[in-house]
Amino acid sequence: MYRYDEFDATFVRQRVDQFRGQVERRVNGELSEEEFRPLRLMNGLYLQLHAYMLRVAVPYGTLNSAQMRKLAFIADTYDRGYGHFTTRQNIQYNWPRLPDVPDILEHLAEVEMHAIQTSGNCIRNVTADHWAGVAADEAEDPRPHAELMRQWSSLHPEFSFLPRKFKIAVTGASADRAAIRYHDIGLRLKKNGQGEVGFEVFAGGGMGRTPMLAPRVRDWLAKEDLLPYLEAIMRVYNLHGRRDNKYKARIKILVHALGAEEFTAQVEREYARIDAPHIEPEQQELKRIAAYFAPPDYDALPGDDPALALRLEKHEDFAGWVERNVSAHRAPGYGIVNISLKPIGGIPGDASSDQMRAVADLAETFSLDEIRISHEQNLVLPNVAKRDLFALWQSLGEHSLADANIGLASDIIACPGLDYCGLATARSIPIAQDISRRLGDPARQREIGDMKIKISGCINACGHHHAGHIGILGLEKRGEEYYQITLGGSGDERASVGEIIGPGFSAENLTDAVETIVDTYMGLRENGETFLEAYRRVGPDPFKEAVYATH
Amino acid sequence: MAKKITGTQALTGNRLSDGGVVFLASNGVWRAGLENARLAHSDEDIADLEAEGADAVEANRIVDPYLVRVEVRQGRLVPAAFREHMRTRGPSVNLDFNSRTNGQAASAA
Repeated sequence: MYRYDEFDATFVRQRVDQFRGQVERRVNGELSEEEFRPLRLMNGLYLQLHAYMLRVAVPYGTLNSAQMRKLAFIADTYDRGYGHFTTRQNIQYNWPRLPDVPDILEHLAEVEMHAIQTSGNCIRNVTADHWAGVAADEAEDPRPHAELMRQWSSLHPEFSFLPRKFKIAVTGASADRAAIRYHDIGLRLKKNGQGEVGFEVFAGGGMGRTPMLAPRVRDWLAKEDLLPYLEAIMRVYNLHGRRDNKYKARIKILVHALGAEEFTAQVEREYARIDAPHIEPEQQELKRIAAYFAPPDYDALPGDDPALALRLEKHEDFAGWVERNVSAHRAPGYGIVNISLKPIGGIPGDASSDQMRAVADLAETFSLDEIRISHEQNLVLPNVAKRDLFALWQSLGEHSLADANIGLASDIIACPGLDYCGLATARSIPIAQDISRRLGDPARQREIGDMKIKISGCINACGHHHAGHIGILGLEKRGEEYYQITLGGSGDERASVGEIIGPGFSAENLTDAVETIVDTYMGLRENGETFLEAYRRVGPDPFKEAVYATH
Repeated sequence: MAKKITGTQALTGNRLSDGGVVFLASNGVWRAGLENARLAHSDEDIADLEAEGADAVEANRIVDPYLVRVEVRQGRLVPAAFREHMRTRGPSVNLDFNSRTNGQAASAA
């Protein structure tokens, strides 16, 4: 894992001191709310419906046990004993007091964490494939590049006041687990015909009120050219992105208005004249960063563990958990363990401080001290020897963390919605809970198979509903919540935007409608098709007919 | 042009210290719960509320006060707008974390 150098540490400490002074001046009246608001937002502090909310970055979703323990400590000491892991690989605390926030940031700095650039019109926390560095299908670990982008984008003077917020996602795998085409810039490491690894670059994707998939702007970019090329994209956006209309200010609108071809041409022209040697990091610095992400010393293990095979035969629940929650690792004898934060009827992405501490302990014992946050609001222990899986599963169960539902119908993404969020128009969490209870029977979920249900409480789409196989958008009409359903969305390597199937549903009728959609799929699927495959084959009509005939 | 204000109003804001939702009650006191709010039925009442809100901002106690229309439903005073209703009553989900996790404990070997 990356460790701060003296510059990182000094920079973060200075920001804590600055913010402490700003909070003091706000509390004693030297700063008005109007003056203070941009300062607190630069440090991840929002004022939500019922309280302040502090959003802490987990850069590219990677953290260690000490950091997770610190997150638990903050939850206990300064909040209400829990935290909410988000679709941007951040954690949000829902109840901090303003005078305590500088102390919270100081605690975070002790473990090399911060809340900088988790808000505002700047380059936000760079997200990455949550299996980065361990996935069996990966060309190269993208995290050294993500860290480089974190350093490059932190307080970058040219990109601190962009037309709108800016999100970059990166993967090194053929399967897209980072939803890169739904980002302002999406990057994929891949090999070219000569076996060299470079970037495929996408730009102009996004969710929100105008969902768009990013077109490819470069099929191949040498790794060392990454920052100059990103600067070229950012400059075109900074120059031509609209600042007159907040709703048309994201780069996707610019790319759409210019057309992908013209946008790409402008980027390439900018790139041709950019002072690349001035921007490119020194090779020594790249090597220094990359060294932190070198593969750990894995034990030399056989690919299959005989004891594991026996356990799988003997324990049906364990076998079910391994099938859904353990993924292929690049090192023989190891697995990637995905920990569900989606208990049946629970709040997606929430973890108690006790659970955070438990995960920290288990990461130390079983995962070479490493933890990941996924954009699907789950946790990952990326380095677990197969011989340890049974013991780990038992321990997870003691902390209500052994739900075997990764990728199934109850593994629902949901934003905080109108239970917390000042922007929301409807609640998301109770909807997720209701659907989870309805579809959550273990045998039924397995029978349904791969299913991504994603719920947003407003058009801003923090719950990624556009990318849901079944997407749900909460709105309000005449004082009542109602919910629009979209079908056929996907955030993977065959990304697609979900299509609205028709008029919305009341909160009372919504779960019935979702169940009808699922039942319709079960009735028409062929040869083990997943929901998405079946939808792409038959289109929306059978689902519309079934839903609107009965609801 | 100023927005036309109709109906019974209350003045709400968030406490500077913790962001908590409060309403202006009597004697310049800000309290949680709409039932404690001082209600405005006339332009003069509204002007008084807004003046006291400005004082609370000046005194660094309250952030961004604003008026909300309220009405009586089923014998209870509630905000007319759905968003304000949610904001006033707090999260509708169970905040007691330990009582809402129900993952299955793994069976012993």
